[in-house]
Amino acid sequence: MGYPYIPNTREIREQMLREIGAANINELFADIPSQIRLKRKLKLPPAMSELEVKRHVQAILAKNTPFTQMLSFLGGGVWPHHVPAHIRSLVQRSEFLTSYTPYQPETSQGMLQALFEYQSMIAELVGLDVANSSMYDWATSLGEAALMCARVTRRQKFIVPKLIAKDRLSVLRNYASGPGLEVVEVGYNHRTGQLDLKQLRAELGGDVAGVYIENPSYLGFLETQGDEIAAAAHKTGALFVVGVNPISLGLFKGPGEYGADIVVGEGQPLGNPVSFGGPSLGIFACRDESKLLRQLPGRLIGATTTLDGKARGYCMVLQTREQHIRRERATSSICTNEALCAVSAAIYLASLGPRGLHDLAELCASNASYAMKKLNMIKGLRAPIFDAPHFNEFTLTCDDTHVSIQKLNAGLLKRGIQGGKSLRAEFPELGETALLCTTELHSREDIDRLASALNELLGGKG
Amino acid sequence: MVKAGNYDAPDGLYYSREHEWVKLEGKLARVGITDYAQNKLGDVVYVELPEVGKQVKQVTEQKTKEMELGAVESIKAVSAVYSPLSGAIKETNAALQERPELINTSPYNEGWICVLDASALETELKQLIDAKAYAEYLKKL
Amino acid sequence: MSYQQARWVEPLIFELSKPGRVGWTLPEKPRERINVPKELLREKLELPELSEPEVVRHYTRLSQMNYGVDSGFYPLGSCTMKYNPKVCEELAALEAANYIHPHQAEETVQGALELMYMLERCLTEIAGVARVSLQTSAGAHGEFVAMLITRAYHKSKRDDKRNQVIVPDSAHGTNPASAAMAGYDVVTVPSNARGRVDLDALKATVSERTAALMLTNPNTLGLFEDQIIEIAKVVHDAGGLLFYDGANLNGILGRTRPGDMGFDIVHFNLHKTFATPHGGGGPGAGPIGVQKELEKFLPVPLVEYDKKKGRYYFDYDRPHSIGKIKGFYGNFGVLVKAYVYLLLMGGEGLSEVTEAAVLNANYIMRKLLGVDGYELKFNPSDPCKHEVVFSAEPLKRMTGIGAHFVAKRLLDFGMHAPTYYFPPIVPEALMIEPTESESKEELDRFVEALRTIAEEAKSDPDKVCSAPTATAIGRLDEVKASRQPILSWRAYRKSAKG
Repeated sequence: MGYPYIPNTREIREQMLREIGAANINELFADIPSQIRLKRKLKLPPAMSELEVKRHVQAILAKNTPFTQMLSFLGGGVWPHHVPAHIRSLVQRSEFLTSYTPYQPETSQGMLQALFEYQSMIAELVGLDVANSSMYDWATSLGEAALMCARVTRRQKFIVPKLIAKDRLSVLRNYASGPGLEVVEVGYNHRTGQLDLKQLRAELGGDVAGVYIENPSYLGFLETQGDEIAAAAHKTGALFVVGVNPISLGLFKGPGEYGADIVVGEGQPLGNPVSFGGPSLGIFACRDESKLLRQLPGRLIGATTTLDGKARGYCMVLQTREQHIRRERATSSICTNEALCAVSAAIYLASLGPRGLHDLAELCASNASYAMKKLNMIKGLRAPIFDAPHFNEFTLTCDDTHVSIQKLNAGLLKRGIQGGKSLRAEFPELGETALLCTTELHSREDIDRLASALNELLGGKG
Repeated sequence: MVKAGNYDAPDGLYYSREHEWVKLEGKLARVGITDYAQNKLGDVVYVELPEVGKQVKQVTEQKTKEMELGAVESIKAVSAVYSPLSGAIKETNAALQERPELINTSPYNEGWICVLDASALETELKQLIDAKAYAEYLKKL
Repeated sequence: MSYQQARWVEPLIFELSKPGRVGWTLPEKPRERINVPKELLREKLELPELSEPEVVRHYTRLSQMNYGVDSGFYPLGSCTMKYNPKVCEELAALEAANYIHPHQAEETVQGALELMYMLERCLTEIAGVARVSLQTSAGAHGEFVAMLITRAYHKSKRDDKRNQVIVPDSAHGTNPASAAMAGYDVVTVPSNARGRVDLDALKATVSERTAALMLTNPNTLGLFEDQIIEIAKVVHDAGGLLFYDGANLNGILGRTRPGDMGFDIVHFNLHKTFATPHGGGGPGAGPIGVQKELEKFLPVPLVEYDKKKGRYYFDYDRPHSIGKIKGFYGNFGVLVKAYVYLLLMGGEGLSEVTEAAVLNANYIMRKLLGVDGYELKFNPSDPCKHEVVFSAEPLKRMTGIGAHFVAKRLLDFGMHAPTYYFPPIVPEALMIEPTESESKEELDRFVEALRTIAEEAKSDPDKVCSAPTATAIGRLDEVKASRQPILSWRAYRKSAKG
């Protein structure tokens, strides 16, 4: 049988072997010592036709219930949004899809310009002058930010808020472990969730490389003390790093405006499907200052002109920071990144524009606001647990009832509703609490349905 | 001025086999990279300067970080600059931060990299060679 | 020869903006007031404003000024630019793959777990390892995690002296960079005259400080490290681990397996060997496999199957795990594509992939050996594997025109350039990887193009030096771009004013 992706048939291959003077194909593998040659066939499923594969994989995936077929309130690091049809149609253009890293700028202008536009829009959004052309995801961006702070300041301590996703913290700790950075958690005000400034100031000293906060926080509330945290960090020579959900920046100030030196975040909601948590899009931006720029990880696209100076063009710049040139002294080992997700983000932001992004952010927040109001009316439930402004995610606690979040979620699932993420394992001190998310995907009726299902589960009248 | 092929090597300077030059100014030594070195490197886009006060060691065959005066970068290469003498960094050429191309256009004058307070000048100068010997050295490369 | 890439004078999207235009719609107007202090709200956001057709035309034009595998021959060495089957894209885009959330109840994502489980089984068989984690997003990410696992392993043996990682001088830059990121000192071991790791030098380099050797096999010269059994013994006897960089796995599928060669940790590039597209730089996926002894250190979670309940689940109960290395479970969308590819090819198909890819590379090697201007730096009677590295040094000696200009001129022939100036141990290197996706006719055209360029270098050097001219744009001032970097529209406007 022939394979559709191998143009040279057996006969042609025989002819090629003759032309190069080889008796058979095995001659070309004679340099593999016989002890390690695989003397049997690979035990893999037998090849299938395209039609069979399609049916087979469809049948496997049919065991999933996508959130488009139920009502889901999950967020917590990746967020479901509508992806306009034209985005997929554009990033599926195979000149984009099937190209490699744009090492040859003359034949890769399209990708280079698209990535330059991505960098430009992200810079605008976060309020800084420089963004790189992508990292793997938010968590790894955070890890790289900690390493960058340590290189820039030559210090060894990195401060994070206690209310951070534990998975993200675990990734950060793994990145920090290379140069042996110490990761210190600073607590929060139990009423408002806001970072404990007193504790922060006590931790800050000549050994702190960076201070990190998330805004909106992992639990959905806004950190309102951005200015003060920035000032405290800068006073001791530490860098200030902020993690964001970029959709929120349609409404809120970019962290650059309140003193951030580095901004990281999750770019998935900008036109990329949730896709079980990957591929996603690591945002990484910083102030345009040589000291920072030289230490920036990842690929950068710059604007320039042709050699004759007549036409504008784009190419990769400051490559000497990268692994293919600086090897063990590179700012990071990252090579393959999430370029196509970045192009999706650029197309998404260009399609929404400032007004679209503002209205979207407002709608997401307004839905959360409505949901909190509705859920608060249910006896035994409280949302949110922190007294602070929120964006599109919020905490819901059933601590005052005798049921657990797990049980409530099981009951919801029977009714075709995926409830919020239980925070039990991550923050036992928050009791029976879940993290819920609303976006433009949720109508008022959807939220009413959640409320009435919860009411029913808690023994209230439907 | 000595010519080695297309490359200049002014008289009166001391040279290292790593292609750095030294100009003695009293007790101090001004250091840069040679015309040959800048030419091999191509268009310089960035110069990483040492910190003032840093102690460096004279370069030997077994190179270590303590012998580095920083690095010179073209778009696709980074070359470490090694110190031709031991001592403390007294001054660096701030102009290179804005105009790294001075390394290309004026390697022996405006493109100097730093001034060293040499700690073992007399013994270490013996490891360096003069313009004529450097030109001979280049011919063999 | 007649190739011409599209050439649009396409402004930046910001320059196409007209106030008031919108390219999308919202389902409803917000009805709730949001209670946020005014000082947190933003006043201005300078994103472009365009209608949908304008956005679509802009990015369509940009795509036309980009070259992909679907455009033509892409012999970029070490990058395995093979054809990416379309059905993989179609299946990965199904709602049941794209619209599932990582925190969903496990019973609602059984299909995703099953697919990951099955993909892991396939990869363990292909590489000859015990378990595979799918969490790592890219090759370099896999290398980094492999180094973290190496550290966890030595630490578990209470062996804290091992602070060195050895890499050959022909290694990809990601190897030393990943080792350094994990906190290791990097020691380089030279290649010998046969283009392989110098075994004596390696013996002299290993010590009680050796944590691991990172090796690509076939190596970056496209040559099989035929002393791999001895290499493995030297490293293991010294107490170190052996890490396999999977960049070149396309050269050995079904012929031998990293596990059988003695490697302890292996990474895969699904976006190379298993045909998922590179997307202009990513996303990719770089799963890592390990032998039994290292299994417990893999990142959490792994997918397990509960036979009694007939259900798949994520196993987080792994106390020795290094923890998380990326948010969630890996680049799932990429995993789907790779799994589809594996099902399309089957075990025998993968063996044919390697046979066809290796034959294509050897065919180019033989044909190009007869062309004046290019030479092999190592024994030409050795077969190569999936790629071959030529040197354009003879051409440079004759004409002053080296690998860089040859590569640029190739673009005018409607082909992508090979990797050049890499590996660094070959002067004027042209690293050519044809993959199995190319026909004999295409390979002949490529060899003819290189012959033509060598002749032009002698007869009409200006033509070569001013190339490319058939691309969307001519040669760029990359020096200016790095001396005064302009990295965003904000910065561009500032520089235009100043």
